[in-house]
Amino acid sequence: MKALILVGGFGTRLRPLTLSVPKPLVDFANKPMILHQIEALKAIGVDEVVLAINYQPEVMLNFLKDFEAKLGIKITCSQETEPLGTAGPLALAREKLIDGSGEPFFVLNSDVISDYPLKEMVAFHKSHGGEASLMVTKVDEPSKYGVVIMEESTGQVERFVEKPKIFVGNKINAGIYLLNPSVLDRIELKPTSIEKEIFPKIAAEKKLYAMVLPGFWMDIGQPKDYITGLRLYLDSLRKKSSSKLASGSHIIGNVIVDETAKIGEGCLIGPDVAIGPGCIVEAGVRLSRCTVMRGVRIKKHACISSSIIGWHSTVGQWARVENMTILGEDVHVSDEIYSNGGVVLPHKEIKSSILKPEIVM
Amino acid sequence: MGSSEDKVVAVIMVGGPTKGTRFRPLSFNTPKPLFPLAGQPMVHHPISACKRIANLAQIFLIGFYEEREFALYVSSISNELKVPVRYLKEDKPHGSAGGLYYFRDLIMEDSPSHIFLLNCDVCCNFPLPEMLEAHKKYGGIGTLLVIKVSAESANEFGELVADPNTKELLHYTEKPETFVSDLINCGVYIFTPEILDAISNVSSHREDRANLRRVSSFEALQLATRSLPKDFVRLDQDILSPLAGKKKFYTYETMDFWEQIKTPGMSLKCSGLYLAQFRHTTPHLLASGDGTRSAKVVGDVYIHPSAKVHPTAKIGPNVSISANVRVAAGARLINCIILDDVEIKENAVVLHAIVGWKSSLGKWSRVQGQGDYNAKLGTTILGESVGVEDEVVVINSIVLPHKTLNVSVQEEIIL
Repeated sequence: MKALILVGGFGTRLRPLTLSVPKPLVDFANKPMILHQIEALKAIGVDEVVLAINYQPEVMLNFLKDFEAKLGIKITCSQETEPLGTAGPLALAREKLIDGSGEPFFVLNSDVISDYPLKEMVAFHKSHGGEASLMVTKVDEPSKYGVVIMEESTGQVERFVEKPKIFVGNKINAGIYLLNPSVLDRIELKPTSIEKEIFPKIAAEKKLYAMVLPGFWMDIGQPKDYITGLRLYLDSLRKKSSSKLASGSHIIGNVIVDETAKIGEGCLIGPDVAIGPGCIVEAGVRLSRCTVMRGVRIKKHACISSSIIGWHSTVGQWARVENMTILGEDVHVSDEIYSNGGVVLPHKEIKSSILKPEIVM
Repeated sequence: MGSSEDKVVAVIMVGGPTKGTRFRPLSFNTPKPLFPLAGQPMVHHPISACKRIANLAQIFLIGFYEEREFALYVSSISNELKVPVRYLKEDKPHGSAGGLYYFRDLIMEDSPSHIFLLNCDVCCNFPLPEMLEAHKKYGGIGTLLVIKVSAESANEFGELVADPNTKELLHYTEKPETFVSDLINCGVYIFTPEILDAISNVSSHREDRANLRRVSSFEALQLATRSLPKDFVRLDQDILSPLAGKKKFYTYETMDFWEQIKTPGMSLKCSGLYLAQFRHTTPHLLASGDGTRSAKVVGDVYIHPSAKVHPTAKIGPNVSISANVRVAAGARLINCIILDDVEIKENAVVLHAIVGWKSSLGKWSRVQGQGDYNAKLGTTILGESVGVEDEVVVINSIVLPHKTLNVSVQEEIIL
C-alpha cells in the first residue's frame, strides 16, 4: 500500500519553532511530528510514503534518509512549485500513487496527531465498497470547522457544511483519508480543495463513507493546541503502553523522558511533560505541561509550566517560564528571569523579564 | 596622495547569521551585509569608499556566513573595482581583532604597509584617504575614526578621550554606565602591521592566565577571563582600553554623518543618508521625474532600471525601489525601501516602511510606520512574500515572511 502525506508550506502558525526546521520535523513527544505518521503507516504495511511539500524538500529528505533504512519504508517527495491546495498534490503525485494493483491509498494531513486506527479504516473501507473513506472526529465547537453530515448507521456521507452558524452536527473531517485510485481521475493538476470540491462530488454519488475516529485527535498546527495535543497523546500512551512513561517519586501523571536525558535531585516533573534526548534538568526543578526539546539545559530551581522549550535552549536558575511561553531554538533565559507568555525567536538571550505575553524578535 | 612605498589592504568585518538577530525579520532572507541601502548592498558603501585609497592591493570580507552567500556579490564587485575582493569565512566568531589575527597570513600576503579595518554595519562617508594621511603624520600603530555625539547617547558606544592637540587616544571604555566622554569610536580603523603583534600578546597572555588558573584556581582571574577562548580578541576591550595613553593609538574626528545600523529602522534612516550623499558624489544614480512621462519624484530617490513605476505615482523623499518592482497607477511612496519583485497596486500608500521581497500590496492598502527610527515598532516592516489585501491598513507593525493580512493591524508583531 501507498500513502501521501500533505505537508504543505511554511508552517507559519507554529513559529518560532518552524523558523528552525520544517514543520513536520518539529518534535512532538520526543520525535518529529511526521515520524508518528510514518510509523503508523509502516505498522499496517504501507511500503511507500510520498510527501507533498512546497518548502525545503531537501531538508526533509536528508533527515528522512536514515529512517527509510531503519523502518524499511520508501520515502519520496513530490514538490509543488505553486501551492496546489489539498487535492492538487494528489494529481501531482499521481504516477507515484498508482501502481496498477488497484489498491486504495492513504492521504494524511501532517498537522494532525491521533491514534491512527488505520487497520480499522482499511476494514471499514472494504466493508462499504465505496470509492473513498474519511475519518471524522467529534468536537465541542463544530462552528469553527467543516462539519460532515452522514447517515449514522452506514457512515454514508450526505453533505459538508463549512463553519455552520447553527448546529447541524458535531463530526468534523479529521484529515485522514483512504481513497481508491479512481479518485485521482476526478482531480485536475491545479489548485483544488479536496474537502470543498472533490469530496462533495463523491458524496453526491453516494460513494463517500465516514468512520468515527476512535480515540483522540488534535490539530497541533499551533502552539496552544500542541500543548493540549501532548496531554491527549500521553493519556493515550498510558492506556496502550504505559511502560514507555516515566515513573518514580519525582513524577506526577504522564511524563516521557528520553533515556539520554539526565534529571537532578529533588525535581518534581509532570503531569504532561516530554523531555527530549540529551537534556539536562538540574536539581530542584519543577516542570509541568511542557515540552523540553533535544539538548536543553534547565538550571537549578527553575520552574516551567504550559510552555515549549526549543532545541538547545537554556533556562537559568530560579527562572520561571509559563503561560504559553515558546522558546525557539538556542534561546537563553538568564537566572531569576520571569517569562509570562513570551514568544522568543531563535538565538536570543533573555536578560530582562517578560511580564505579559509578547513576541521577542 | 599616498607615497609610492604604500601598499594598503582593507578588511571589512561582516559578522554572521546568529549575530544579526536585531535585524529580523529582514535577516531571515538575506545576510544583513547584503541588505540594500540606497539600492546598493550595505557592504557596498564601505567597499566603494575603498576605491579612493591609492595603492589598494586587496579587500577582504571576514565573517562567519556561508561562503556561497557572498560568492555572487564578491565576484561582481571584484570585476567592477578591478581590485581582488575575497570573502574569508571564520570557523567561529573570533571578535574583531581575533578575526584579523586569524587570517593574518592571507592579509599580510602582499606585505601591506597599512591595514584598514571597517565594520560593515556603520553608515558614514568613510574618509579613508584622509585617515591614512593623518595616521602617517601621527606615527602610531593605529588611528580610529571618532565622532562627537550627544552626551545622552554616548553610552551606547565605545567612549574615548583624546588629547586635543596631539589627537592621541588617552582613555577608552566600552559602553560605560557613567558618562566618560561624548567622543565615540566609529568602528573604522587604520593600522600598521604591528597591530598583529598587539593582538598576539593578548591571546598569549590569556593562555598564560589560563595555565596559572589551573595551578592556583584563583577565583578572581577565573571570573575575569571565563568563557573567553584565547583566540577571541575584541578590539575595544582587549586592545584599545589597555593600550590607550601609551602613544600607540590616535584619533581622526569626522564632522560628517555617522550612524550604526543595528535594526531595520536604522537601515531606513541610513538609506536616506546614503541617498543624500549620492546627490554630491554620484547624482546620476538618483531618479527624477515630473509626472508626465515618468512618475513625479520628490527629494532623493533611487529606482532600479528594471522597476516599473506608473507615471501617475508619486515617489519620495527617501525612497529606494529595487529590481523588478511594479508600482501601479496612483500609488504614493514616502520614506521607504521597496525590495526586489514587490508589487504595489493602484492607489496604495507606503510611508516609513520597508516592504520585503515578493510582497504584494493591494489596491488602496496603506502600510505605515510612525517614523521613529529607534522605536521598536517605529518603522513598519513586511518580511518576504507578505500579502496585504485590498484596502487593508498596516500601522506600526512587523510582519514575518509568508503571511497574508486580510484585516487591518496596528502595533503588532505578526509571527
